[in-house]
Amino acid sequence: MKPLEVLVRALCMSLGLCPALASPATYRVDDSATIPLESNAVLRWRQVAPSRTMDNTVEGSTAVQVRLNLAPWLKRNGRVFLVLPEQPPGRVSVRWTTQGRLLPGQLVSGQRALVYAGPITAPMIEETLALRIETDGTRLASTYRLAFHFEIDVD
Amino acid sequence: MHRSAVVRIRGIAIVASLWCASTAQAFTVTISAGSPRAIYLQVGVGSFTGLYNSGGTPGANPTVNVVSANVPAAAVGSGAAQAMSSNTGATNSFYDNYAFCNSGQLYVGGFYRFTSNAGGAAATLTANSSTPLVNATGETIPFTQISWTSSGNGDSGAQPFPAGTFNGGTQTIGTIARNQWAESCMTFSYLNSAIVASGTFTGTVTYTLTAP
Repeated sequence: MKPLEVLVRALCMSLGLCPALASPATYRVDDSATIPLESNAVLRWRQVAPSRTMDNTVEGSTAVQVRLNLAPWLKRNGRVFLVLPEQPPGRVSVRWTTQGRLLPGQLVSGQRALVYAGPITAPMIEETLALRIETDGTRLASTYRLAFHFEIDVD
Repeated sequence: MHRSAVVRIRGIAIVASLWCASTAQAFTVTISAGSPRAIYLQVGVGSFTGLYNSGGTPGANPTVNVVSANVPAAAVGSGAAQAMSSNTGATNSFYDNYAFCNSGQLYVGGFYRFTSNAGGAAATLTANSSTPLVNATGETIPFTQISWTSSGNGDSGAQPFPAGTFNGGTQTIGTIARNQWAESCMTFSYLNSAIVASGTFTGTVTYTLTAP
């Protein structure tokens, strides 16, 4: 890379324009304004009795007010994903519904799922995700914080 | 001079990259178990909506079943154990509706739910037989005169609630490991080792399942 090109990219990046001018790639989305609507998702046994098939699933619901800052990719095409990295307490399954601005879907920890595809026409997307969370109750010995994030693949 | 300029520009680029990365966030959802413990104990008849292996839900059943024996006058105190029979009619397991017990046996079963399998103590089943059997004139027979064997149709290993004899106090009958169902069928006997007055002697043994 020539020194002048480096300088231009560096300046663009310092102005917050780095993703918009970058090559097609994946970027972490700023979702710092996202707010869980409940402080704690209480998960309960799906089957009160431990069954012959050992269904030890606990499940529960919560909601999250999502605010995604997509300004760096305004007027570009992209695909936004909800990501749940692998983390304690182990395998976690999440399903969600939306109010239409993002896609409903499901994933398990270690995966990402598409929530938006198309042109970025607004600097901010706001959406309420109604989450349904399931995990193995025999591993849920204490309280855990599930860390989600969003990322975008820019064309 | 040209080299030093490149180094300086790269330095700016690295700082700018770090700034970009710092805007990325992650939201968190806190999860916890709402009802970490659940226990179910059935001694005799019980209540279950559906079956346990198909997502059934246990219920409460206040019935106190009777296990009894009629001792002929000529045999009183002979030392010949007298078979006792329960009136429960509860022979099928709510686990899967399998005919686990036979008529006259007392079904004892239950489960212990807990949100961890690791290194934890089991639930403990105890029986309190401290109040002896008594007849209408106040004469008594201690529960130490009653013992039981333990079995289960189709079972080949040790029973979770093994054979024993009441000790006239509180004793441990067995345990249920975390996230397990345990069941046994008890066949009671009156040991008949003492001469007692005539009459009908009744008493109550209370079974308690305790989760740690």
